[in-house]
Order: sequence, then structure tokens, then C-alpha cells
Amino acid sequence: MSELSGNRQDAGQSTTAQPQTPEPSTATTVPGAVPVPAFRLAEVHQSYRPGVESLADVTLQIASGEHVAIVGANGSGKSTLLKILDGLVFPSAGTVEVFGKALTEESVEEPAFRAEFRSRVGFVFQDADVQLFCSNVLDELAFGPLQLGLAEDAVRERVDEVARGLRLEKLLDRAPYTLSGGEKQRVAIGAVLAMRPDVLLMDEPTSALDPRSQVWLLEVISDMKRHGRTVIIATHDLGSAAEFADRMVVLSEEHRICADGTPDEVLDQRDLLLEVNLIHEHAHRHAGRAHQHPHAHGHSHQSE
Amino acid sequence: MHIPDGYLGPQTYMALDAAIIPIWGVAAAKVKKTLRSKQVPLMALGAAFSFVIMMFNVPVVGGSTGHAVGATLIAILLGPWAAVISVSIALITQALLFGDGGITAIGANCFNMGVVMPFVGYYLYRLIAGDTASTGRKVVASGIASYVAIVAAAILAGVEFGIQPLIAHTASGAPLYAPYPLKVAVTAMASEHALFFGWVEAFATMGVVAALAKQDSALLEMKPASKSMRWVWAAFAALVLLTPIGALAEGTAWGEWGTDQFQSELHMAVPAGLEKLSGLWSAAIPDYAPSFIQNPLAGYLVAAIIGSAVVIAATWGIAKLLARKRDDADTTHPSAA
Amino acid sequence: MIPALAHVGKNPERRPQRRRSLARRTADVVGRAIADLLQNEDHARASGLLQSLDPRVRLATVLVMAVTVSFLHTLPTLALTIIATMVLASASRVSVASFARRVWTTAGFFAVLLSAPAATGWISPGYELLGHGALSITAPGVLVASRLILRVVAGAGIGMLVVWTMRWSDLLGALTALRVPDVIVATLAMTQQQIVSLMRTVENIHLARESRMLATGSTAENRQWVVGRMAFVASKSLKTADEIYDAMLARGFSGHWPTLRRMRMSGRDVLWLAGLVAGCALVLGADRLIAK
Repeated sequence: MSELSGNRQDAGQSTTAQPQTPEPSTATTVPGAVPVPAFRLAEVHQSYRPGVESLADVTLQIASGEHVAIVGANGSGKSTLLKILDGLVFPSAGTVEVFGKALTEESVEEPAFRAEFRSRVGFVFQDADVQLFCSNVLDELAFGPLQLGLAEDAVRERVDEVARGLRLEKLLDRAPYTLSGGEKQRVAIGAVLAMRPDVLLMDEPTSALDPRSQVWLLEVISDMKRHGRTVIIATHDLGSAAEFADRMVVLSEEHRICADGTPDEVLDQRDLLLEVNLIHEHAHRHAGRAHQHPHAHGHSHQSE
Repeated sequence: MHIPDGYLGPQTYMALDAAIIPIWGVAAAKVKKTLRSKQVPLMALGAAFSFVIMMFNVPVVGGSTGHAVGATLIAILLGPWAAVISVSIALITQALLFGDGGITAIGANCFNMGVVMPFVGYYLYRLIAGDTASTGRKVVASGIASYVAIVAAAILAGVEFGIQPLIAHTASGAPLYAPYPLKVAVTAMASEHALFFGWVEAFATMGVVAALAKQDSALLEMKPASKSMRWVWAAFAALVLLTPIGALAEGTAWGEWGTDQFQSELHMAVPAGLEKLSGLWSAAIPDYAPSFIQNPLAGYLVAAIIGSAVVIAATWGIAKLLARKRDDADTTHPSAA
Repeated sequence: MIPALAHVGKNPERRPQRRRSLARRTADVVGRAIADLLQNEDHARASGLLQSLDPRVRLATVLVMAVTVSFLHTLPTLALTIIATMVLASASRVSVASFARRVWTTAGFFAVLLSAPAATGWISPGYELLGHGALSITAPGVLVASRLILRVVAGAGIGMLVVWTMRWSDLLGALTALRVPDVIVATLAMTQQQIVSLMRTVENIHLARESRMLATGSTAENRQWVVGRMAFVASKSLKTADEIYDAMLARGFSGHWPTLRRMRMSGRDVLWLAGLVAGCALVLGADRLIAK
């Protein structure tokens, strides 16, 4: 019974062709000028309830076009950080700037700023079910552009573009609840991309996906990198993080940044990674021999 | 309690379909005012929750289980107007997506389960629970409130069925829709719910309130009642004022027979036990007719006034006693939860 | 009077060989409901008669038929309506056998049960066909009972036509075209997704319980568990609402719910509507004639 209710076969999903993501709506670099950082956080603290800290003393700058992986154990504050970057949560102390403009509770409600901000920064949530609120896929893809106030023709154009690029044409008249997990995530990403964002924030994008969909997702991310987008992914999956990112920011279990560098630099610091609970040591067997080495779980070992 | 199509005639279902629309309008306006832009996700989840609650099998006694409606519970969690919307959407979805409950009967079902149940349940809950912080009192209040609410809704549904033979029949008097007269319909619906489904509802509601008090007590925080309680008192006053309608009823209520009615109305011999006990208690105002008033109607009204006054005084006295007890408890246990 | 189970949509439980546990029973019912929902989507996308009509016209068809049925008084016309629903089902690529079975085993079955006392002399005194006095089956009683049964079955058939040939998104599109406020339509749209999501959660909760239970457990113990899970679903629902709101904001939610307008009625739709209204008027006329 559960098979029907949860995991429909990914019928018709042929991902042999490279997914094509739309061009971002604005140029990300102006030759000769000093680029404004996409995000600038200064001494940001966040606590949802008094005494319970979710982020402590975070100072961070992310330039346009960077590909950043924010890694940390569960509960380290990755999701909170992403939500702060997207103006969904506001810090209890410290400042946040997006493309040079202050991001506060007041500024984000101002219609002109909101329209620009929301179209330039897109957020893909961990749980696809939370992001699908229309009665069919077409409406879902159209939601963002319609909210931005685009004319119907422009909306349809964007929907077609995204549907073609992510191979969603056959799903357009389907109700979201009839889709498989992978299809839902594709629709969710498509719905965000229909707004042609410059920046893409993704919260644990691979955690709920089957292996084939994970591969597809990494292809989507590569395509976005090709267009010069800024991509920031929060994950505890060190393997995929290392593959896509050119910068890794590590959050400790005390909700602070404890490392910030290239993936090679960060992954070299074995002791640090052990300390923040991103990797662990345990004994297991490889081809008949027992041995012990630190590793993270995220992909299976090939037998040596 | 979902009424399918075909049991209610057009006079009834059209009236209820028409009546529900302004109620939805008011509910939508109220919800918009309190929830603002969050209203869509909250109402969607409220409706989804309401829908899903009706699918749980709640064990009652022995091996039997029943389904609860949950309208009172939702009213306690989201407020009565939000409950109107949530339960209505759940019922509409059941009818149009699953074929559960009739299409023409949507107004009737939404009125019984989506309006009467949440409002009766909510205000009874507030009346009994007051502003208490005590979980125990909230649980008991929710149990009583949900029980009464579902029985009230059931009685209303029974009335809707029971009036069908009166208002829609062939020339020869045969009923065209639900065929059972008022007495049978109301008795059947009322007893079915008073004896079984009311308990399912009460157990479910009390259980969830108790569990939430442990898991997520913020959800049970009282919303300020203030002005809205005025309507409750107004409703009660209206009910008191409507009692003279009882004077229109002829004969004796079914089952409430005295020794004299056995002869005159039932044409049966008086049972021996009844005969023996009939002299046990002589009422102060027998047959609602005070001895000092000649006109039966006036006597009926005076009896009503005296009766109401006694009940109100007694309730007020008990409430005062309870309040004093609670104040004592508060001073000795500052953190009652 | 109407048991909470007398609904068209729910399949009657098959008589189990062994008594299934509470957890298993609930999981089965919920699982079947989800499966039905997914199957209905497929039905609704088939290329049949009803599916080819504009959603507004489909909605109107159902309403006109339902209202007409409620005005019919005679057995022949009611029976005609039942046949009409089966013809429409067949024309809309729905298996008539499963359609009829579904309608008769749920709404029909309970209608027979509920109308049985009405066939007796107790409710409908008159010419006695069988038996005597209050427990007899009378001629007027049979008439009253049959009328109710046929009417209920006709209504249930019409309801099933909606369930099996109309997608929720089509229905909402029709409502939007009929000027129902956008906020309401948006809420109805979101509800559907969340209902399925919650149903899956409820199914999994019950299956998990089933897999961990060694013995049946006492009534009190089971009840404690059930209400605990209901409370959990309550908290989860409200938290999910917050997350959805964040997702809405992230996608630029501006406070209102614009939609793409895409309904265009064709000549065929108008023709159908006209034919339907004429047909119903005819049936009503015939009904009144027969009644005389």
C-alpha cells in the first residue's frame, strides 16, 4: 500500500540531456568596477527563544558568482543562516546587507525592494511539500512571476522556458501530490528558477532524493554555475559539497563559524572536522580486513 | 454525521445552502482580520488537519472504535471562526474529492458540523475552563464541551431529517425525502450520539488537549474572550425568552407520564412500581401551574420565571464557590499548569 | 440515524478473517484513500465526454442534475436518472461495473438499511403486503423506501461523476471563473496538497505502530496512543503552516493571489448545457405527469 502512496516510479523522467537553467535577470559583474558583495553579515547573532542560540557572532562576506557550501552537523545553524540570507528570519543582533542594501524586517516589506530582492534571491527548501501550494504544476511555476507582477505573456514565457529546461512539460497539468519525491523537487526548483534569480540558496537539497535525482541536481547546479550565478548550499553531505563548491564555510555545534576556505583546505583539517561532528571514526571491514579511518557518510565505499 | 444527497428536500437544503454563505463571508472577514497574510496556509492546514482527524479510529470500549469530527477541538485551537472555515473546507473536500457527503447537502453539513459544533463547543469550553492555567480543568472542559456540541449538532441534523415528512409529502401524505417523523429522527440521532459518538468525540478531544498540554502547550493558550462572551449571554437570554413557545405544545412529553396519563392517553394499566412511588414527592409548582394563578398561560410563564431564577442563582452561587476555591489554590500554587 | 460510515466515498470494509488491529485497519483505510485519489486523477485525465467539457459546464452539469433529482417524485423518473448517470460514466471512460458497484455498496447499501423501517406499518401504515400491524411491510411503505433508495443512489452517482471526472485544479479554475474570491481558491488549492501530505503521515504512523506491536494492547492503551498521535499531527500541521508561509514569502508573495485566466467556452459546451437543461425540464415534466 505504501508504495502507491509514497514513491511512484519516476515515469518519463529522462535526464540524459543536460538540464538548462534560465539566464539570470541581471548581469553579475561590471567590468572595471569594485563588485558589491552579494551578502555581507556582520556579527550576527540569532536566537529564537531567550537563552537558546541558533547563531553566534557570524561575520561573513559572499561575493557574486561564488559557490559556497555551508557545512555543519545537524543543529549547527545552517538552515537559520540561509533563512537570514533570504530575509525570512532576522538576527537578534548584527547587520545583514544584500547587494549593498540593508536587509531588515522593515526594508523587506517595502514593495519595490521586496520585488527586486525576491526575484534576485531564490530559496529551495529541504521539504518539497512545503513549497508546492498550487493545484497543478503549471500554476506552481507561474506563482513567482505572477507575484512579481509580470504580464500574463511574460509569465507564460518564463513557465515554458523553465518547463523545457528542466523537462517538466509532461507534468504541467499534474497535481503536485501525484508526483514522486524527485519530481516534486524538480518542480520546486523550477518554480524558484522561473523568477530568474541571481542567487540560489538551497537547504539540504540532496537529503530527500534518490541517487539518480541527486546526480541530476548536481547537473542543475553546474549549469547554474555556468551562468555565473551565486550558489549557496547548506548541507552535511561533505562529498557533494566538495564536488560543487569552491568555498566551504564550517559551522560548529556552538553555532559559530570555525573554518572558511577552499574545500581542500577545509577537508585537510581532520581534527577540526572531527570536533564539529562532521566526520567520525569507526571501524569497519574493507575486502576482508578490519581497519579504522575517519570518514563522513554520504557515499558508499568501493572495495579496495 | 455527514448527510448524503436525497435525504433532505429542496426547501431544506436550499435554505441551508443559502444560509451558510453569509456565515462563510463573516468567518472569512474575521479570519482575515486576525490572521492577515498567514490566513491561507493556516486555514489550509487547519482544513487538512480537520480532514485527517476524521480518519483516525478512536477506541471507545471493548473492541469498538469510532470516528470523531473534531470540530470542537479545532475551535479550541484556532478559534471558532477559523474553525468554521477549516471544517467547512474539509467537508467540501470530502464531498467533491472523495464523494463523502452530498453536494446539495454541503450547506446542511457545513452548518451542523462546521458552524453549530465549533461555536457550541468553543463557548461552552470557555465558559467551563474560564481563564484557567490548569490542564485538568481544560481537559474536562474540552470533554464536556465537545460532547454537548456533537449532541447538539446531531439533534439539529435530526430536526433537519424529522421535518422532511412535514414539509414535503405527496397528496396522500407519504414523505418524499427522509421518511421518519421528528420524534423518531431526533431520538435516533440524539441517542446514537449521546450513547456512542458523543463519547468518541469527548475522549478524542480530551485526549488531544491533554497530550498537547504536554507536547506543545503554546497551542492551548486562551485567546482573549472579552466582548465575544456578551453574545453567549445574549443567546442564553434569547433562549429564556423563547420558553413561552412551549405553551404551544399539546399533551405530555413522551415518557414523562404520570399515573393519570396512563389511563387517559396510553389506555394502559398503571405499572405497580410507578403506582407505589407516585406519592413520594409533591412538587412545589405541579404541572408548571402555580396554584395561585388561574390563567394557565400566565401560570406557565410565572413558573418559567421562578424556575430560571432558581437555576441562575444556584449556578452563580456555585461559580462563586469555585472561584474562591481557585483563588485559594492560586495563592498556594503559583505555577498551576 | 445516518451512521458516520454511510458515505459514498469510503469502500465498505471487507469482512476480515482475523480481527485486524486498529493500527492496521486505519492504515489500510488511509492508504486506500490515497490510492483512490491518485487513481481519480488518472480517470479525470482520460478523454471522455465529461472531461472534454469546460470545467464550469461540468460543474453546472452536476449541479443541474443534482437539483433536478431532488425535485423528482416518481420511481420511473428516478430510475431514469440513475441510468443517465451510468451512461455518462460510461461515456467518460469510467467502468460502469465499478461505478455501479461503488455507488450501490456504499450509499445504496446504507439507504436500504435506513429506509427499511420506513417500509413497515410502523412508519407507513396502509395496505399490508406481508406480516401484520407495526411489523408488516406495507405498500405505501415500500413506495416510500424505494423512492428514498433510488434518490440516494442517483445522488451518489452524480457525486461519483464529480469525483471521477473532475480534477481539483479544474474545479478551482471553475470557481475562479465564477468570481469566487482568490483567497478562497488559493486556500482550497493548498489544502489538497496538505491533506495528502498529512494522510501519508497518518498512514506511516499507523504502519509504524503495527510493525512494533507484539500484542493487541488494551483499549485504554490504544486510545492513549491514538490521541497522542492526533496531538502530534495537530502540532505538525501548525508548524507546517509557518514553513509554508516562509516558502510563500521566499517566492515573492505580495499579499494577493493572481492566477492565469484560461477558460474559454466553446460552442459545444453551450450546446451541451442547452441540451442538459432541456433534458432535465423534460424529465421534470414527465415526473409531474406520472405523479398525477
